[in-house]
Parts: sequence; structure tokens; C-alpha cells
Amino acid sequence: MKRLLVLVALAVIGVTLLYGIGKMPPMDSRASPDKTHVVPRYLGHGEEEAGAKNIITGVILNYRGYDTMGEVSVIFSALCAVIAILDREKKGRSRSGVDASRVRTSLIVTTVVRFSLPVVMLFAVYTMLHGEPSPGGGFQGGAIVGASIILFTIVFGLAVSTKRIPPGARVPMESVNMLGFLSMGFIGLAFGVQFLTYILPGLGVAAAETVRKLMLDVIELGIGIGGGIIFISIVFSMIREDRYELQQDVP
Amino acid sequence: MSWALGVAADHPVLLVAVPLLFAALCPIWAMWKRSACFPWAMAGMSVTAFLAWSLIGDVSPRRALTYNLSGWRPPWGIQIRIDYVGLLMVCIITAVGLLIVLYSWRYVEHDLKPERVPYYYTLLLLIMTAMIGFSVTGDLFNMFVMMEIFSITSYALVAISGMKEAVRAAFKYLLMGATSSLTVLLAIAFLYSATGSLNMLDISLQLKSTSYVQVAAVALILFVVGFSVKAALFPVHVWLPDAHSIAPSPVSALLSALVIKMGIIGLFRVFFTVYGPGFAARSGTWNGVIDVVSWLAVASILVGAALAIIQRDFKVMIAYSSIVHIGYILLGLTVLSGNGTVGGLFDILAHAMGKGCFFMVAGIMIYKGNRRQIHELRGVGRTMPVTAWAFTIAALSIVGIPPTAGFMAKFYILWGCIQRGKYHFVVLALIGSLLTAVYCFRVVYYMFFTGARRPDARLDEGPVTMYAPAALLAAGTVFFGIFANLLIPSLTAAARLVLAR
Repeated sequence: MKRLLVLVALAVIGVTLLYGIGKMPPMDSRASPDKTHVVPRYLGHGEEEAGAKNIITGVILNYRGYDTMGEVSVIFSALCAVIAILDREKKGRSRSGVDASRVRTSLIVTTVVRFSLPVVMLFAVYTMLHGEPSPGGGFQGGAIVGASIILFTIVFGLAVSTKRIPPGARVPMESVNMLGFLSMGFIGLAFGVQFLTYILPGLGVAAAETVRKLMLDVIELGIGIGGGIIFISIVFSMIREDRYELQQDVP
Repeated sequence: MSWALGVAADHPVLLVAVPLLFAALCPIWAMWKRSACFPWAMAGMSVTAFLAWSLIGDVSPRRALTYNLSGWRPPWGIQIRIDYVGLLMVCIITAVGLLIVLYSWRYVEHDLKPERVPYYYTLLLLIMTAMIGFSVTGDLFNMFVMMEIFSITSYALVAISGMKEAVRAAFKYLLMGATSSLTVLLAIAFLYSATGSLNMLDISLQLKSTSYVQVAAVALILFVVGFSVKAALFPVHVWLPDAHSIAPSPVSALLSALVIKMGIIGLFRVFFTVYGPGFAARSGTWNGVIDVVSWLAVASILVGAALAIIQRDFKVMIAYSSIVHIGYILLGLTVLSGNGTVGGLFDILAHAMGKGCFFMVAGIMIYKGNRRQIHELRGVGRTMPVTAWAFTIAALSIVGIPPTAGFMAKFYILWGCIQRGKYHFVVLALIGSLLTAVYCFRVVYYMFFTGARRPDARLDEGPVTMYAPAALLAAGTVFFGIFANLLIPSLTAAARLVLAR
């Protein structure tokens, strides 16, 4: 009975969605509202108005910067949710009494990770700061930072990672993505323009452009660092180094 | 009064930016001292409440405050638009939110692991930010972003006690909530393909001439499905009794008084701001959907009340009672008469105060002596008079007996139904009221008219920071019942504008 109800509900939703998709403007149409209403301005004037050659970056940080501030708050909320339910990683040894950092790992793996980690990190910073002229930006760069540290943790163990980046250092950095947006927003307010406006009055044209570039870079770095550290903290609080997992590797 | 801080023009964005700043700094602040989080959250909520209340007088039904973020005019940028309904919501959120933070203080230090307390307050500040942002935004996608924040935080707040049942209820809530968020996102995508815009007023303008009416109609259906889950309308209410009853009591009060109202505000915006009665001329879907929602609202009233009566657990009963009131509010909003809309909006206020008080009282009963069953409340009227009287007054409002706000709300809702000739709704809603009286006064009966066999001296009134917020909310229901005219004329004007669009 329950299954039948679920099946009927799914069928109704599916048919409704398919009907809607069928009635949507065709993908290749140039006259459909989604290509003629707001988009022409983004494409035509986005570069000089929003200050980014990459139009997507311009939309994300400038035209709809407030939404992006909301999105980084979503990521922060997710971190708070994970920590509120799972708590942060425990200090010291794991429950099994085995220190995972002393488990011998393959020399090849550790060497590869040791050599590649700095390069990956450098690439992450490049991605964060190069979101303006090319694809990339804070979110992508942050994901790379997070992934690299997670790789390090898998190879060298949670104890080593948490010693290098203790919670005390991570907590302030986790809020940095929201604080980047908020501080740039409040700078705008102090100059008497709207929240998250990057062209500040009272400066010359060239200086205002430079200031805008700097403000956008601060926000990108904030999104990247904050996002990366949040990934790391979420993974750390989910890791459980149990005896079961270690049994195969303990010499 | 907006000259108060000398930043009059920036007021609308500060309503969101200030609590967000407090939320972002809360974990950092907690590194210094964990116990400093409560005053920090209190300060954040107080400043926000001051900002919100100082806007009273600047907004009237005919005049909304607008604020273009990053300086872009809509439809290119995001606009904050505080209309009368938005301001009403912001004032309710900040007032009830402030009392909930105060109430949380002693409750969480008794109920939660100490290392989770800072994140409790952070989540509380985040959820307030998101609800305020959701109520004041004029942009559909921004609405979705804010909805994501208050959804994620509310799942976490349900599970924060760490009990197995709490985690299970939160997971159920997460599954339904995430599905409904996706539905809303799909609806926004459909609407964007039909209109090319995300600004609500601009969309309603585009809808008058769009050649993709069917796409917009499908989007309307998806919106209603998505927001109905957030509002816990029958038959997608199933997550609510579990989540609201197992959550820590201040969280239950928050979810019941404020968070489910966001689903209603979402529906209100979609029905009247984005589509509007004007859309009925272009597609029959609008009228059809409104009819379906009003029938489901009546079903919510009856099913919720019937299920509330058979509960033995105090908090589960209160949780089912929320479903009843969601029914009343949506019945008022979908009956499409000025008085019905007034009643629905007024019931948002009345229910926020009444149900907030109910859950706070339930929390005090758990705090003092871990009493969860209704029959365990014997003799509470003598040992905890303030708490018991607060509950009784709030119960009068929930049932709808004068001179309380709940009475005014129900009166206008039923008046609206009569004006539209929907007598069957009047009869069914009155039956719901009778059932509500049965389950509310059963508790009052246990509190006052049955004595405990041996009164326990330790079970006296709880801490003043817990019963004072409950008593204040109860007093609020009486205040707005007597001085309903503070709001009714403006609400009537707002309703007339909404229905004329």
C-alpha cells in the first residue's frame, strides 16, 4: 500500500516535470526569455561593470555577490551542523590506543605525497586568485586546498595533521569566508555606497579599479581559505581511527 | 525613527549583515570563554531587534523599503524589499528570537554537552539571520539561499542533543526538507526559463506577457509542493511531530513559532507577489492550486487536532497542534478575501506567541523533574503558578477565546470564509476549534483541577530566565488580542493591495 502510494506520487511528479520540460523554450533558441532579459547586460557590459573578464566570476561576486555571501554561510552552517552532531576530533590517541601516525605506510606513497603537496597548494592559491581572468575562483581553490590536506591526513594520520593545524588555528579561519564578504561590505557602507559595492567614491578612476581588484581578491581568498579549512574540519570530525580499520596495516 | 543610528539608508541590509557577523564571530569568541557565547548571542539578537523595530513607522502597506545590493538595480542585481508583511515577520522573528535565546541559556547548559554549546548559539544566530533574510528579500534565488541556511541549521538543531531518537528524527526531517528544497530550486529554474528573471516583482511583470504560461504553471505547482513541506501542511507534515517533539525545547519553540512560518511566507510570496491573482486570467492553475491548498489546510486542521487529542506525550501533542494552526493560517490566506488574509497574517503572530509559550512551558516541565507525559502535570497549578498560568493564557489564544490574539485571528479567518460563501469551511474550522479546546483544556485540567498525591517541594518554578519568556509571550497574546487595532487597519490595507494585484 505504502509502496503503491510512493509509486503514484513519483509518477505524478515525473509526469509534471516532463510536461514542464516539454513546454520550455528550446535550448538553441536565441529569442527565449532566459537569453534576452538580463543576460545581454552581463555579457555586454559585465567586464567593465563588474570588474572581471570571467563573466561568471563577475556575476558571482558582483551582480549577485549577496547570494554568494549566503552560499558561504550555507557552507559554514554545514560545518556547524557537523560539529554540533559529531563534535570535533578528539585530541591524542584514537580509541583503539593505536597511534595511526606510527602505522608504517608505503615509502612510495609518502614520497609522492611529500613532493606533490606543495605544488598542489601553489596551484590552489593560483586558482583562487586567478578566478578573474580565467575559470576558477575561491570555491574551486578552497576545494583543492581541502583535498590536498585530506590526502595528507589519509597518508600520515590524523594525529600529525591535527598537530600541524590544531583546532585553535582552524576556528578563526573557518569564519574567514563570511568575514571577507562582511568586511568588504562594511567598507562600502563606510564610504557611503551600498553593501558589497566595490567601486568606492572619492578615489580616482584608476585607483578605484585597483581597489576593486584588491577587494575582489580579498573575497576570493576568504572564500578559498575558509572553504578549504571547513572541508578539512568536516573530514577530521568524521574520521574515526578504529582498531578495525587499522588491523590490516599494523605491523 | 531610522535616524537612530545615522545609517538610515543601510538599515535593510544591516538586518541580515549584523546577525551574520555575530554568527561568524561566535566560535572565535567561544575560544576565549565558552560561557561568553550566551551574552554574545543575546547582544547580537538585541542589536538586530533594535534595528528591526526602528523600522516600524518607515514601512506602511503602501510604502516598502528597498535596498539594491552592490548598487545594481533589479532585475540585474539583488534587491532587498521590506514590505509590510516582511516587516511584520522580521519583528516577530526578532522578538520571539530574543526570548528564545534568553530561554536557551539555562536549558542548554543543563541539556547539552558543554563543547556543543558554542555551536548551538552559532546555529541559533545563523537561523535567525536566514529567516530575516528570507522574509525581507525581493529576489527568488536569494530566497532559496536563505532557505538552505535555515533548513540546514534546523536539521542540526533538532539533532544537537545527540540522542538516538533525535538523530533519527533529524534525518527524517533532512530527507523531506532536502527534497522540498530541490523542488523549490527546480521551480525557480522553470520560472527563470519562462521569464528570464529572478526578481519577484519583475517576474510578475514578465508573467503578464510570457508565452511560456505552462512552464510557469508547472513552476507554481513545484513551489507549492516545496513550501508545503517546509510549512508541514497535511499530507507532507509527517516529519514535524518527530522533529518538534524530540528537539531541545527552545529549539522546538523556535521551529514551531518561526521556522514553519517561513514555508507560509514562501507560499504567500509565490501566490501573491510572484504570480498574483492576475495570473489566474492566464492559467487556471492558479485557482486550482489555491483551492487544493485550502482543502489541504482544512484537512490539516482536522487531522492535526484529531491526532493531538490521542497523544499522551505533552510535546508530541503540542507538535500536532502546530499542524492545526498551519491549517488555519493557510485557510485564511487561500480563501481570497481581504478579511481572510488579515486573519491568516494575524494568526502568524498569534501562533508564534502561543506556540512559543507552549513549548517553553513543556521545556520547563522537562527541566524540572523530566516530566514529558500529560498526566505527570498533576498539581502543577499549585507548585508552579506562573508557568501554569502562562500555559493557560496561551491555551486560550491557541483555542481562540477572547480577549486573545488567537480569537481575533480566527474571527477574521472565519469572517473571510463567510464573505466568500464557503460555509463548509466555517463548519469544519469550528469543529477543529472544538477539538483544539479538548486537547488544550485537558492539560489545563490536569494542571489545576487534579492534585498531586504528594506535592514534590523540589518541583517549584524553574529559573526566572525560563518562565519569564513564556509569561511574556502569554501576555503578548492578551495584549495583541485587546489592542488588535494596532495591526488590523494596516493589515487590511496590505491585504487589499495583495488581492488586487
